[in-house]
Amino acid sequence: MQDKGIISWKAAGISLGLLLTIATALVKPLGVSTQFVVTDAAVIHQVAPEYAEENTYLSKYGEKTGWGIGYGWMLVLGMFVGGGVTARLLRNKQPEADKGSMPAMWTGRFGASHLKRYLAAFGGGFLLLFGARLAGGCTSGHMISGISQLALSSFIFGAATFGAAILMAKFLYRNKGEQA
Amino acid sequence: MTLLIGFLIGCAFGAILFLGGASSYRRIMGTLLLKDMWIIKLMMTAIGVGTLGIYLLDLGGLANMSIKPAYVWGILAGGAIFGIGWAVSGYCPGTCVVGASEGKKDAIFTVLGALMGAFVFSLAFPYIESTLIAPANFGKVTLESLLGINGIWIAIPFSAALLFLAFFVLKDRYE
Repeated sequence: MQDKGIISWKAAGISLGLLLTIATALVKPLGVSTQFVVTDAAVIHQVAPEYAEENTYLSKYGEKTGWGIGYGWMLVLGMFVGGGVTARLLRNKQPEADKGSMPAMWTGRFGASHLKRYLAAFGGGFLLLFGARLAGGCTSGHMISGISQLALSSFIFGAATFGAAILMAKFLYRNKGEQA
Repeated sequence: MTLLIGFLIGCAFGAILFLGGASSYRRIMGTLLLKDMWIIKLMMTAIGVGTLGIYLLDLGGLANMSIKPAYVWGILAGGAIFGIGWAVSGYCPGTCVVGASEGKKDAIFTVLGALMGAFVFSLAFPYIESTLIAPANFGKVTLESLLGINGIWIAIPFSAALLFLAFFVLKDRYE
Protein backbone atom coordinates (compact mmCIF):
# COMPACT_ATOMS: atom_id res chain seq x y z
CA MET A 1 0.00 0.00 0.00
CA GLN A 2 2.86 2.37 0.71
CA ASP A 3 5.09 3.13 -2.24
CA LYS A 4 8.83 2.87 -1.85
CA GLY A 5 11.15 5.77 -1.16
CA ILE A 6 13.96 6.74 -3.53
CA ILE A 7 16.16 4.33 -1.59
CA SER A 8 14.93 1.71 0.91
CA TRP A 9 15.03 2.19 4.68
CA LYS A 10 17.63 -0.58 4.73
CA ALA A 11 19.96 1.28 2.38
CA ALA A 12 19.40 4.58 4.20
CA GLY A 13 19.85 2.99 7.66
CA ILE A 14 23.03 1.13 6.75
CA SER A 15 24.57 4.21 5.07
CA LEU A 16 23.66 6.39 8.04
CA GLY A 17 25.25 3.90 10.47
CA LEU A 18 28.42 3.80 8.36
CA LEU A 19 28.47 7.61 8.07
CA LEU A 20 28.17 7.88 11.86
CA THR A 21 31.10 5.47 12.25
CA ILE A 22 33.23 7.47 9.80
CA ALA A 23 32.33 10.75 11.54
CA THR A 24 33.25 9.26 14.94
CA ALA A 25 36.59 8.04 13.58
CA LEU A 26 37.48 11.34 11.88
CA VAL A 27 36.10 14.02 14.22
CA LYS A 28 33.10 13.25 16.43
CA PRO A 29 29.58 11.81 16.15
CA LEU A 30 26.71 13.52 14.32
CA GLY A 31 24.65 16.26 15.96
CA VAL A 32 22.37 19.02 14.74
CA SER A 33 20.47 20.85 17.47
CA THR A 34 23.47 22.66 19.02
CA GLN A 35 23.96 24.46 15.72
CA PHE A 36 20.69 26.34 16.09
CA VAL A 37 22.19 27.90 19.23
CA VAL A 38 25.47 28.55 17.41
CA THR A 39 23.49 30.33 14.68
CA ASP A 40 21.57 32.42 17.23
CA ALA A 41 24.81 33.18 19.09
CA ALA A 42 26.65 34.13 15.89
CA VAL A 43 23.91 36.55 14.88
CA ILE A 44 23.50 38.05 18.35
CA HIS A 45 27.28 38.43 18.74
CA GLN A 46 27.17 40.60 15.62
CA VAL A 47 24.01 42.55 16.41
CA ALA A 48 24.24 42.97 20.18
CA PRO A 49 27.66 41.76 21.35
CA GLU A 50 27.26 42.93 24.95
CA TYR A 51 24.00 41.11 25.34
CA ALA A 52 25.50 37.94 23.87
CA GLU A 53 28.23 37.97 26.52
CA GLU A 54 25.75 38.59 29.35
CA ASN A 55 23.57 35.66 28.33
CA THR A 56 25.24 32.72 30.11
CA TYR A 57 24.02 30.16 27.58
CA LEU A 58 24.77 32.08 24.37
CA SER A 59 28.16 33.23 25.65
CA LYS A 60 29.29 29.60 25.58
CA TYR A 61 28.77 29.53 21.81
CA GLY A 62 30.19 31.72 19.10
CA GLU A 63 33.09 34.11 19.52
CA LYS A 64 33.49 37.77 20.32
CA THR A 65 35.32 38.13 17.06
CA GLY A 66 34.44 36.09 14.02
CA TRP A 67 31.40 33.89 13.73
CA GLY A 68 32.45 30.99 15.94
CA ILE A 69 31.52 28.48 13.28
CA GLY A 70 33.11 25.05 13.44
CA TYR A 71 32.76 21.42 12.38
CA GLY A 72 29.18 21.07 13.60
CA TRP A 73 27.90 24.14 11.84
CA MET A 74 29.59 23.12 8.60
CA LEU A 75 27.92 19.74 8.99
CA VAL A 76 24.47 21.34 9.13
CA LEU A 77 25.33 23.60 6.19
CA GLY A 78 26.37 20.43 4.36
CA MET A 79 23.00 18.84 5.17
CA PHE A 80 21.27 21.79 3.52
CA VAL A 81 23.51 21.58 0.45
CA GLY A 82 23.52 17.77 0.23
CA GLY A 83 19.76 17.54 0.74
CA GLY A 84 19.05 20.39 -1.66
CA VAL A 85 21.30 19.14 -4.47
CA THR A 86 20.01 15.56 -4.20
CA ALA A 87 16.44 16.82 -4.11
CA ARG A 88 16.94 18.80 -7.30
CA LEU A 89 18.65 15.92 -9.10
CA LEU A 90 16.15 13.25 -8.08
CA ARG A 91 12.91 15.17 -7.66
CA ASN A 92 11.15 13.07 -10.29
CA LYS A 93 11.94 9.90 -8.33
CA GLN A 94 10.52 11.23 -5.06
CA PRO A 95 7.09 9.74 -4.28
CA GLU A 96 4.33 12.35 -4.83
CA ALA A 97 3.13 11.84 -1.25
CA ASP A 98 6.52 12.99 0.10
CA LYS A 99 6.49 16.32 -1.74
CA GLY A 100 5.31 19.78 -0.76
CA SER A 101 4.42 21.75 2.36
CA MET A 102 0.82 20.56 2.67
CA PRO A 103 0.93 16.78 3.21
CA ALA A 104 -2.30 14.97 2.25
CA MET A 105 -2.40 13.44 5.71
CA TRP A 106 -2.35 16.89 7.32
CA THR A 107 -4.98 18.44 5.04
CA GLY A 108 -7.22 15.39 5.53
CA ARG A 109 -7.24 16.06 9.27
CA PHE A 110 -6.73 19.82 9.64
CA GLY A 111 -7.95 21.27 6.33
CA ALA A 112 -6.23 23.19 3.54
CA SER A 113 -5.26 26.33 5.50
CA HIS A 114 -1.62 27.10 4.83
CA LEU A 115 -1.54 29.42 7.83
CA LYS A 116 -2.58 26.59 10.15
CA ARG A 117 0.12 24.27 8.79
CA TYR A 118 2.82 26.94 9.00
CA LEU A 119 1.81 27.91 12.54
CA ALA A 120 1.99 24.26 13.61
CA ALA A 121 5.37 23.91 11.88
CA PHE A 122 6.68 27.04 13.61
CA GLY A 123 5.30 26.09 17.04
CA GLY A 124 6.53 22.53 16.66
CA GLY A 125 9.98 23.84 15.71
CA PHE A 126 10.01 26.06 18.78
CA LEU A 127 9.23 23.08 21.05
CA LEU A 128 11.79 20.91 19.22
CA LEU A 129 14.71 23.19 19.97
CA PHE A 130 13.59 24.23 23.44
CA GLY A 131 13.29 20.53 24.31
CA ALA A 132 16.48 19.52 22.53
CA ARG A 133 18.58 22.16 24.31
CA LEU A 134 17.07 21.21 27.67
CA ALA A 135 17.84 17.54 27.03
CA GLY A 136 21.23 18.24 25.44
CA GLY A 137 20.56 16.80 21.98
CA CYS A 138 18.07 15.76 19.33
CA THR A 139 17.32 12.81 17.08
CA SER A 140 20.81 12.82 15.61
CA GLY A 141 22.95 13.73 18.61
CA HIS A 142 21.02 11.92 21.31
CA MET A 143 19.05 9.17 19.64
CA ILE A 144 21.25 8.01 16.77
CA SER A 145 24.74 9.03 17.92
CA GLY A 146 24.05 8.77 21.66
CA ILE A 147 22.40 5.36 21.69
CA SER A 148 25.09 4.08 19.31
CA GLN A 149 27.63 5.06 21.99
CA LEU A 150 25.43 3.23 24.56
CA ALA A 151 25.00 6.48 26.54
CA LEU A 152 22.52 6.21 29.42
CA SER A 153 21.31 9.79 28.81
CA SER A 154 20.37 8.95 25.23
CA PHE A 155 18.32 5.89 26.21
CA ILE A 156 16.38 8.13 28.62
CA PHE A 157 15.95 10.73 25.87
CA GLY A 158 14.76 8.13 23.36
CA ALA A 159 12.13 6.76 25.74
CA ALA A 160 10.83 10.21 26.76
CA THR A 161 10.77 11.48 23.17
CA PHE A 162 9.04 8.52 21.58
CA GLY A 163 6.61 8.27 24.50
CA ALA A 164 5.53 11.92 24.21
CA ALA A 165 5.60 11.96 20.40
CA ILE A 166 3.42 8.84 20.07
CA LEU A 167 0.88 10.17 22.60
CA MET A 168 0.78 13.55 20.87
CA ALA A 169 0.44 12.00 17.40
CA LYS A 170 -2.38 9.72 18.61
CA PHE A 171 -4.06 12.76 20.18
CA LEU A 172 -3.76 14.87 17.01
CA TYR A 173 -5.15 12.08 14.82
CA ARG A 174 -7.56 10.73 17.46
CA ASN A 175 -10.74 10.58 15.38
CA LYS A 176 -9.14 9.59 12.14
CA GLY A 177 -8.22 6.23 10.79
CA GLU A 178 -5.99 5.75 7.82
CA GLN A 179 -5.19 8.74 5.64
CA ALA A 180 -4.31 8.70 1.96
CA MET B 1 40.39 20.63 7.21
CA THR B 2 37.98 19.65 9.98
CA LEU B 3 35.54 22.19 8.55
CA LEU B 4 35.73 20.55 5.13
CA ILE B 5 35.21 17.09 6.65
CA GLY B 6 32.19 18.42 8.54
CA PHE B 7 30.76 19.88 5.35
CA LEU B 8 31.22 16.64 3.39
CA ILE B 9 29.78 14.47 6.17
CA GLY B 10 26.85 16.88 6.34
CA CYS B 11 26.29 16.61 2.59
CA ALA B 12 26.11 12.83 2.86
CA PHE B 13 23.85 13.06 5.93
CA GLY B 14 21.43 15.44 4.18
CA ALA B 15 21.38 13.30 1.05
CA ILE B 16 20.68 10.11 3.03
CA LEU B 17 17.82 11.76 4.94
CA PHE B 18 16.28 13.03 1.72
CA LEU B 19 16.75 9.80 -0.23
CA GLY B 20 15.46 7.69 2.66
CA GLY B 21 12.26 9.74 2.96
CA ALA B 22 13.08 10.98 6.48
CA SER B 23 11.96 14.52 5.62
CA SER B 24 8.49 13.24 4.72
CA TYR B 25 5.57 14.17 6.96
CA ARG B 26 3.59 10.98 6.25
CA ARG B 27 6.60 8.79 7.04
CA ILE B 28 7.28 10.52 10.37
CA MET B 29 3.62 10.59 11.40
CA GLY B 30 3.14 7.03 10.17
CA THR B 31 5.86 5.91 12.58
CA LEU B 32 4.50 7.99 15.49
CA LEU B 33 1.01 6.55 14.87
CA LEU B 34 2.66 3.09 14.86
CA LYS B 35 1.39 2.29 11.37
CA ASP B 36 4.25 2.88 8.95
CA MET B 37 7.47 1.47 10.46
CA TRP B 38 9.75 2.92 7.77
CA ILE B 39 11.40 5.60 9.93
CA ILE B 40 11.82 3.48 13.05
CA LYS B 41 13.31 0.66 10.99
CA LEU B 42 15.68 3.16 9.34
CA MET B 43 16.73 4.49 12.76
CA MET B 44 17.16 1.03 14.29
CA THR B 45 19.31 -0.05 11.34
CA ALA B 46 21.44 3.10 11.62
CA ILE B 47 21.90 2.59 15.37
CA GLY B 48 22.59 -1.14 14.90
CA VAL B 49 25.34 -0.46 12.36
CA GLY B 50 26.58 2.63 14.25
CA THR B 51 26.88 0.89 17.63
CA LEU B 52 28.90 -1.93 16.15
CA GLY B 53 31.00 0.49 14.10
CA ILE B 54 31.76 2.79 17.03
CA TYR B 55 32.66 0.02 19.47
CA LEU B 56 34.82 -1.70 16.86
CA LEU B 57 36.65 1.62 16.43
CA ASP B 58 36.88 1.85 20.20
CA LEU B 59 38.67 -1.51 20.35
CA GLY B 60 41.47 0.13 18.38
CA GLY B 61 41.21 3.33 20.44
CA LEU B 62 39.98 5.21 17.35
CA ALA B 63 36.53 6.35 18.46
CA ASN B 64 36.16 10.06 19.24
CA MET B 65 33.17 9.57 21.48
CA SER B 66 30.98 12.36 22.76
CA ILE B 67 28.80 11.17 25.64
CA LYS B 68 26.07 13.46 26.92
CA PRO B 69 25.62 13.71 30.70
CA ALA B 70 22.63 11.89 32.21
CA TYR B 71 20.73 14.59 34.16
CA VAL B 72 17.49 12.68 34.53
CA TRP B 73 14.92 15.46 35.04
CA GLY B 74 16.12 17.75 32.28
CA ILE B 75 16.35 14.91 29.79
CA LEU B 76 12.90 13.56 30.63
CA ALA B 77 11.32 17.02 30.42
CA GLY B 78 13.33 18.05 27.36
CA GLY B 79 12.62 14.74 25.62
CA ALA B 80 8.88 15.09 26.27
CA ILE B 81 8.80 18.69 24.96
CA PHE B 82 10.87 17.62 21.97
CA GLY B 83 8.50 14.70 21.30
CA ILE B 84 5.47 16.99 21.28
CA GLY B 85 7.23 19.36 18.87
CA TRP B 86 8.13 16.38 16.67
CA ALA B 87 4.52 15.23 16.42
CA VAL B 88 3.17 18.77 15.87
CA SER B 89 5.65 19.79 13.15
CA GLY B 90 6.40 16.39 11.63
CA TYR B 91 10.08 17.30 11.57
CA CYS B 92 13.10 17.03 13.82
CA PRO B 93 16.01 19.52 13.87
CA GLY B 94 17.90 17.64 11.14
CA THR B 95 15.02 16.78 8.84
CA CYS B 96 13.62 20.34 8.91
CA VAL B 97 16.95 21.53 7.51
CA VAL B 98 16.69 18.93 4.74
CA GLY B 99 12.99 19.71 4.17
CA ALA B 100 13.87 23.41 3.90
CA SER B 101 16.59 22.55 1.36
CA GLU B 102 13.91 20.81 -0.74
CA GLY B 103 11.95 24.08 -0.67
CA LYS B 104 9.22 22.83 1.68
CA LYS B 105 7.74 25.97 3.25
CA ASP B 106 6.50 24.19 6.38
CA ALA B 107 10.07 23.02 7.02
CA ILE B 108 11.33 26.60 6.67
CA PHE B 109 8.83 27.65 9.34
CA THR B 110 10.07 24.80 11.54
CA VAL B 111 13.66 26.06 11.15
CA LEU B 112 12.53 29.58 12.14
CA GLY B 113 10.56 28.24 15.12
CA ALA B 114 13.60 26.20 16.12
CA LEU B 115 15.90 29.27 16.05
CA MET B 116 13.35 31.05 18.23
CA GLY B 117 13.05 28.06 20.60
CA ALA B 118 16.82 27.92 21.01
CA PHE B 119 16.92 31.65 21.79
CA VAL B 120 14.11 31.43 24.39
CA PHE B 121 15.91 28.47 25.94
CA SER B 122 19.01 30.65 26.35
CA LEU B 123 16.86 33.16 28.28
CA ALA B 124 15.42 30.43 30.49
CA PHE B 125 18.74 28.63 30.98
CA PRO B 126 19.79 30.26 34.31
CA TYR B 127 16.52 29.13 35.95
CA ILE B 128 16.48 25.72 34.30
CA GLU B 129 20.09 24.92 35.14
CA SER B 130 19.55 24.97 38.90
CA THR B 131 16.24 23.07 38.86
CA LEU B 132 16.42 20.53 36.03
CA ILE B 133 20.05 20.13 35.03
CA ALA B 134 22.18 20.27 38.20
CA PRO B 135 20.15 17.82 40.40
CA ALA B 136 20.13 14.07 39.64
CA ASN B 137 23.02 14.44 37.20
CA PHE B 138 24.82 11.13 36.89
CA GLY B 139 27.40 12.50 34.46
CA LYS B 140 28.67 10.96 31.24
CA VAL B 141 27.57 7.42 31.97
CA THR B 142 27.39 4.62 29.38
CA LEU B 143 26.16 1.03 29.62
CA GLU B 144 29.84 0.10 29.32
CA SER B 145 30.77 2.04 32.45
CA LEU B 146 27.60 0.94 34.30
CA LEU B 147 28.05 -2.76 33.61
CA GLY B 148 31.84 -2.64 33.89
CA ILE B 149 32.49 -4.81 30.86
CA ASN B 150 34.05 -3.90 27.52
CA GLY B 151 31.47 -2.10 25.38
CA ILE B 152 31.93 -4.44 22.42
CA TRP B 153 30.28 -7.26 24.44
CA ILE B 154 27.21 -5.06 24.83
CA ALA B 155 27.40 -3.65 21.31
CA ILE B 156 27.32 -7.05 19.55
CA PRO B 157 24.08 -8.41 21.09
CA PHE B 158 22.48 -4.93 21.12
CA SER B 159 23.21 -4.36 17.42
CA ALA B 160 22.08 -7.87 16.54
CA ALA B 161 18.79 -7.37 18.41
CA LEU B 162 18.09 -4.00 16.71
CA LEU B 163 18.87 -5.32 13.22
CA PHE B 164 16.77 -8.45 13.86
CA LEU B 165 13.82 -6.32 15.00
CA ALA B 166 14.13 -3.97 12.01
CA PHE B 167 14.61 -6.64 9.34
CA PHE B 168 12.36 -9.44 10.59
CA VAL B 169 9.97 -8.38 13.32
CA LEU B 170 8.55 -4.89 12.75
CA LYS B 171 5.81 -4.82 10.10
CA ASP B 172 3.68 -1.96 8.81
CA ARG B 173 0.13 -2.11 10.06
CA TYR B 174 -2.55 -0.86 7.72
CA GLU B 175 -6.15 -1.71 8.19
